Amino acid sequence: MELTRILQILSAGLIIGGIYALIAVGLNLIYGTMRLLNIAHGELIMLGAYVTYWLYTLYGVSPLISMILVSAFSALIGLIVCWSIFLPIIKTSKSAAVLESNSLLIFFGLSVIFSNLASLLWTADIRGYSYMTKVFYILGVPLMHNRLLAFLVAVVVCILSYLLLQKTMLGKAIRALIQDREASQLVGINARFIYIFSFCLGFAMAGLAGCLLSMFYEITPFMGLPYTIVAFIVIVLGGLGNIFGSLMGGFLLGLLETIGVSLTSPGLRPILSYSIFILIILVRPKGIFGRGVY
Amino acid sequence: MAKRAALYGFLALILALLCLVPAFASDYVVSLFLDLLMWIALTESWIILSGYTGYISLGHSAFFGLGAYFMAMTWTHIPYALGVLSGGLVCLAFAFAIGFPFLRVRGPYFVILTLGLSEFTKYLFINLEIKLGGTVGRILMMTPGLETLYYSVLIVGTGATITAYFVKNSRFGIGLFSIKEEEDAANSLGINTSIYKWLAFGISAFFPGMVGAILALRRSYIDPYTVFSPAVSFQVIVMAFLGGFEDVEGALLGAVVLTLVSEALWAQYPYYYMIILGAIVIFIVKFMPLGVLHPIKQRLLKEPQ
Amino acid sequence: MEKRKMSVLVVVILGVLTLGFFSMSAPQALAKDVMPVGFSMSLTGKYAPGAAGQMQAYQLWLDVVNQNGGIYVKKYGKKLPVKFVYYDDKSSADTAVRVYEKLITKDKVDVLLSPYGTSIHFAVAPLAERYKVPIVGSTAASVKLRDIKSRYFWFITSCVPDRQMKALVDLLKYLNIKNIAIIYAQELFPRENLQFLDPYVKKAGFNVVLKKDYPMGAKDLTTLLSEVKGKKPHAVIALCYPAGAFTITTQAQEVGLNPDFLFELVGPAVVVFGPKFGAATEGIATMGHWSPKGKWPGAKEFYDRYVAKFKRKPDYLNSVLSYTECQIVQQAIEAVGSFDREKLRNYIANHEFETINGPIKFAGLENTKTPSMILQWQKGELEIIWPKETATAKPLYPKPPWPK
Repeated sequence: MELTRILQILSAGLIIGGIYALIAVGLNLIYGTMRLLNIAHGELIMLGAYVTYWLYTLYGVSPLISMILVSAFSALIGLIVCWSIFLPIIKTSKSAAVLESNSLLIFFGLSVIFSNLASLLWTADIRGYSYMTKVFYILGVPLMHNRLLAFLVAVVVCILSYLLLQKTMLGKAIRALIQDREASQLVGINARFIYIFSFCLGFAMAGLAGCLLSMFYEITPFMGLPYTIVAFIVIVLGGLGNIFGSLMGGFLLGLLETIGVSLTSPGLRPILSYSIFILIILVRPKGIFGRGVY
Repeated sequence: MAKRAALYGFLALILALLCLVPAFASDYVVSLFLDLLMWIALTESWIILSGYTGYISLGHSAFFGLGAYFMAMTWTHIPYALGVLSGGLVCLAFAFAIGFPFLRVRGPYFVILTLGLSEFTKYLFINLEIKLGGTVGRILMMTPGLETLYYSVLIVGTGATITAYFVKNSRFGIGLFSIKEEEDAANSLGINTSIYKWLAFGISAFFPGMVGAILALRRSYIDPYTVFSPAVSFQVIVMAFLGGFEDVEGALLGAVVLTLVSEALWAQYPYYYMIILGAIVIFIVKFMPLGVLHPIKQRLLKEPQ
Repeated sequence: MEKRKMSVLVVVILGVLTLGFFSMSAPQALAKDVMPVGFSMSLTGKYAPGAAGQMQAYQLWLDVVNQNGGIYVKKYGKKLPVKFVYYDDKSSADTAVRVYEKLITKDKVDVLLSPYGTSIHFAVAPLAERYKVPIVGSTAASVKLRDIKSRYFWFITSCVPDRQMKALVDLLKYLNIKNIAIIYAQELFPRENLQFLDPYVKKAGFNVVLKKDYPMGAKDLTTLLSEVKGKKPHAVIALCYPAGAFTITTQAQEVGLNPDFLFELVGPAVVVFGPKFGAATEGIATMGHWSPKGKWPGAKEFYDRYVAKFKRKPDYLNSVLSYTECQIVQQAIEAVGSFDREKLRNYIANHEFETINGPIKFAGLENTKTPSMILQWQKGELEIIWPKETATAKPLYPKPPWPK
């Protein structure tokens, strides 16, 4: 195989992996701190994509600006949902198991509401637009500007969120909460604030991912579920609550998919990735990188 | 005792009424009840594993699809009843085959693992169908009439409910609940939790296999995308959680309420009902985190009248 | 306790809803002054994006008919305005089957229209036979349709894979193309097309330089497309669904794959395709058998009305097929003069209809009158380029390079 082709496969894998990582880190942040399984994550991506689309087509707002607007908008949704529904539930839940199952149900309800609201407001038509479609060559590998941008933004945001967890007081508090909820509260960490913070951050990352994806993929009200499933696979691969693991897991899955497609029959890709996924869980039931924050 | 006898009598009456439905109701009502009984069968069988042991499974759609495909592949080659039964047995065997390694995985990892399983079976069948038939989809001809299908689902639904009831009220059931409480402690007390979970997984897979086999004939056209749809698993979980997933009545109530409410809303507000349904789910969870039935039961127990 | 009150309240509300449901009954008008027309539509769920074009076509037909005061039915000696009775099938075949059972046995509608999509058509077809109700199918295409042994079900589209692929290969021969690459999605309709494409390609003696599949929902096809590019085919045949068509069109530009002829099976006729890709659409071909420029009565009028009402173009497949279906049903009712199902059935089975897509006549279940055609984007419009008899423009060959 010639070098350019190998580079092309790797770059394709890394780009899709970067986006997977962004989606998964947001999901894992919420799971890690609050033990909530957000199956409405894909619907937030969908909302982010729609908002970007409308801002661009109706008002000519560049998706570059929308990245900030959409993140803020998604964080606001996160704030509302967290404050009105989840904080009261966390307080009254008797055990982590009850909380986990109830959160699953509530997010299920939210995902149904979001996707159907979108289809009611904007019809179920497929939508899309083109932005930054110039092609750019790196080492002979052609890349469209929008995908390169999406990759860079995704990686920068992932790294920033990782640094936030590692280097700041707030990050340390979040990690402490992920590791041991009771103990962290004993040492005076304001759990309530951290819940809201990670909730908003997780939602904002999902919205941002939607904004980035809208530049090159089609948008429909029901586009969310596949992204949710991918995000779940990534966070399980990397370990629940392990942010660094999600980052790596995203890249791993992206590379696995593109390399798998070019080596085997592409039609076999889903079988391949799901069997690897199942095998990994069976062999390492806590993810490749284990639980916890590094 | 008299109370108990009255209860049994009441249940027998309901069963008798259900048997009579096709005789006096329109096809529409029969098909509504068919739907209802299907969800009862799926939800009751789901709680046998997931409700009693706390291992929340998204694998029901895998078994449903497997049963459907077994029926589609054998239809017109073997008799109908045998096809339905074997559809269930195939799923039972499949669950037994994968049970031990799968059930070592706990908590949310198990949830995602079973989701992965159902997606895996879906793509497996897509590829298998392409190898076998060239296209992805099968039309089934000369399928049985609505009444036959209705009675079949009635039998399977009743079977699943009775099984869930007897499992709960047996030593086996107590063992399963001990897994939920504290699996490691149960193990050290000499309960072979691996075997318990494994058996529950198999029983729980048997019924969706049969339901899938029957529903394949009702749809008369199946393809892997529709029969392995994760929507089936999600809906079952919502039903079980709504009613309360630790007992037979809860699962029954959840299935009945959600089916009827969504039917009522669906006909009236085609564009809004999914949103209303989503809101109802959130509302119930927020105010009744242990299921709709739980506060009522407590009320009955605390203030006997 | 407050919580307990709340739960009782909820149970009461649920109970009332349930009771309300059972006491509900279809309002039955005593004097016949309206004509209920029933159907099931995928308003929500995975088929909803495609079904939108069908629903709008139905609504447009409803408007057009009712603006004229309704359909004249001889039996009642007057025009009856049409009233739609429709339910969401959530993109589920089970629900769609229940909807039609409800429409037939409970709502007792006079006439039925078809649901959306091949799989739901398949699921509903046996009901037409069981209740002896005629249904003219619209948005369904598969050779397996012919396996349905029904006297009460028909299919309008000429995009049936065997005929469609023959038309495509004929066009390629006409364009004198030698080297072709085929990429296809692992999905129902693309696979079925491939099954018929293969033998035609063999017979035509084309040189297939590459034939590869890609999975449903594939988000990155750059590696596959650059592999295609490396083989330098004259024509690229992409047997895809809309999502794939979007990805292929975007990423072919990215990797600089620019064949002389690019065919994408399903997708380029989707409404958003033109606005999204703009000048990049130039020269992309797809399946379809309609254009507002077609020399058929009412084609242009339909297009204008549609655009005026919905502020968007119709979907050249789904919207047109659905509107055509309504026209057939309407003409059959007007000719028969009643809602007698057997008479309607016989009329539909044996007569020719005049529609916005030209004359339509059924032979068995299939419309054999309309030829399979190929459409191509030219200057921001989809033109019919094949066969010559119905063409609205000459094939643009070779396809111009991607813009910029």
